[in-house]
Amino acid sequence: MKKIIFAIMAIMLSASVFSHGPTPQKVQESVTIAASPEKTWDALKNYSEFKKIMKVRSFKDKKMKIKYELIKKDIPFSDYNAQIRVKKGANDNECIVQWTARFYRTYKLNPPIPEGQDDATAVAAVKEIVGPGLAEFKRFVESK
Amino acid sequence: MFIFYDMFKQKKLSTLNAKIYHLFILTFFLIILYFYFFYYFKDEHISKAYITNQGDNTVSIIDLNTLKKIKTLKVGIAPLGITILQNKKLVFVGNVGTDDISVINAVNDKLIKTIKLDTAPLSLASNPDETEVYITDWFKNNVLTISVEEMKVTRSLKVGKTPSGITFNKKHQYQIITNRDANTIEIYNKNYNLVKKLKTGDHPFGVYTIGDFAYTANVYDDSVSVINLIDWSIYDFLVGAHPYNILAHNKIAYITNTVDDTLTIYDLNTKKEIKTLDTGETPENLDLNVKLNLLVVTNWGSNSISIFDTQSLRLIKEIKTGAQSRSFGDFILQ
Repeated sequence: MKKIIFAIMAIMLSASVFSHGPTPQKVQESVTIAASPEKTWDALKNYSEFKKIMKVRSFKDKKMKIKYELIKKDIPFSDYNAQIRVKKGANDNECIVQWTARFYRTYKLNPPIPEGQDDATAVAAVKEIVGPGLAEFKRFVESK
Repeated sequence: MFIFYDMFKQKKLSTLNAKIYHLFILTFFLIILYFYFFYYFKDEHISKAYITNQGDNTVSIIDLNTLKKIKTLKVGIAPLGITILQNKKLVFVGNVGTDDISVINAVNDKLIKTIKLDTAPLSLASNPDETEVYITDWFKNNVLTISVEEMKVTRSLKVGKTPSGITFNKKHQYQIITNRDANTIEIYNKNYNLVKKLKTGDHPFGVYTIGDFAYTANVYDDSVSVINLIDWSIYDFLVGAHPYNILAHNKIAYITNTVDDTLTIYDLNTKKEIKTLDTGETPENLDLNVKLNLLVVTNWGSNSISIFDTQSLRLIKEIKTGAQSRSFGDFILQ
């Protein structure tokens, strides 16, 4: 009986884990910076840390938005595209920097998905770049 | 009317006149009733956009006459593909998280049926008779057929690798699919026999067909392939970065560029770009309402739709929808 219950649970679990299709994953995080949008935008364009991991694909001054693609290798996600934009804050000396990343897991074929190549792994890996990246950029701008 | 009533009282009109008077009142009310029903049914017939929000398992319903969101409907997990049966007023939504299809009645916008599949539905299309709905099964390389009458899968057709976009050509009665990872387009006839398989640009995803042509949006080489369905000739033209889907009307093509956050408008006669418009973030799919001159683009990145006027080629409005709006397929109830 225990075996049967275990089998049913295993089937249910595997169904919930493996049933996701080729769905693009999204990580979107923001940070509020105590500096004007213009000053922050200037800083972002020249900021070298982001350029170590991502290549600038294009940027729009009018919309204060930069598009990136990835240059970093050995990562558990694929087809990564991102944009970082500067938005107005609550007052003139405050702004919001938003980082949006779109990517897929590395394994795109039929389930079962090998360990470490699934959606959750991909999302966690991107979050590890985005969160600390934004925090570091905030320190950089506010210390200037 | 009251003047007549006074006349009736004061001058003591004859019985014949009284009858005319009653007839007059009856006619008057009939006219009011007629206009009441006319407007009542007119209001029922509104054009609506159905937006699948893959991030929050909902469909946002937008009234395209008033440009307002009128309802948010819970469907299965991770809804992506969609197709609408215009005459039967049924909306089919594919949920890739729960491997099923949600069927919505477009008259009252209620979920009426969930059709279970044994695979994740990527994109959907229907035949012009609206008797069948076709679904691409990306993982197992199949196209499934759902009988609309029976509301269940009645057929599974083996196709080429990674079938992605699907559409139906009314003129030639062709079912057309793109094979994303094989860089091909496959054309099947009514009897499910392969008529033609052609090379497209790199990574063809969205596909559109009208008249004697089919168009594919090729994600990796930033191009569109134009396929002639009679002599099978093919040519490509360049668009913005990472095009995702395409639509053509009156020899004008509209293409969403996911990485540029733009919409390319291209003249298929002169083979020249007309204009590039800004959309929301990561624009994915698009559909037209020809009567209202509206083009609707779904923005995966900004969780919204952008609505453009196809006459002035200007943005009219951006409306917030749900998380990760996609709507891969025809999503406007005309």
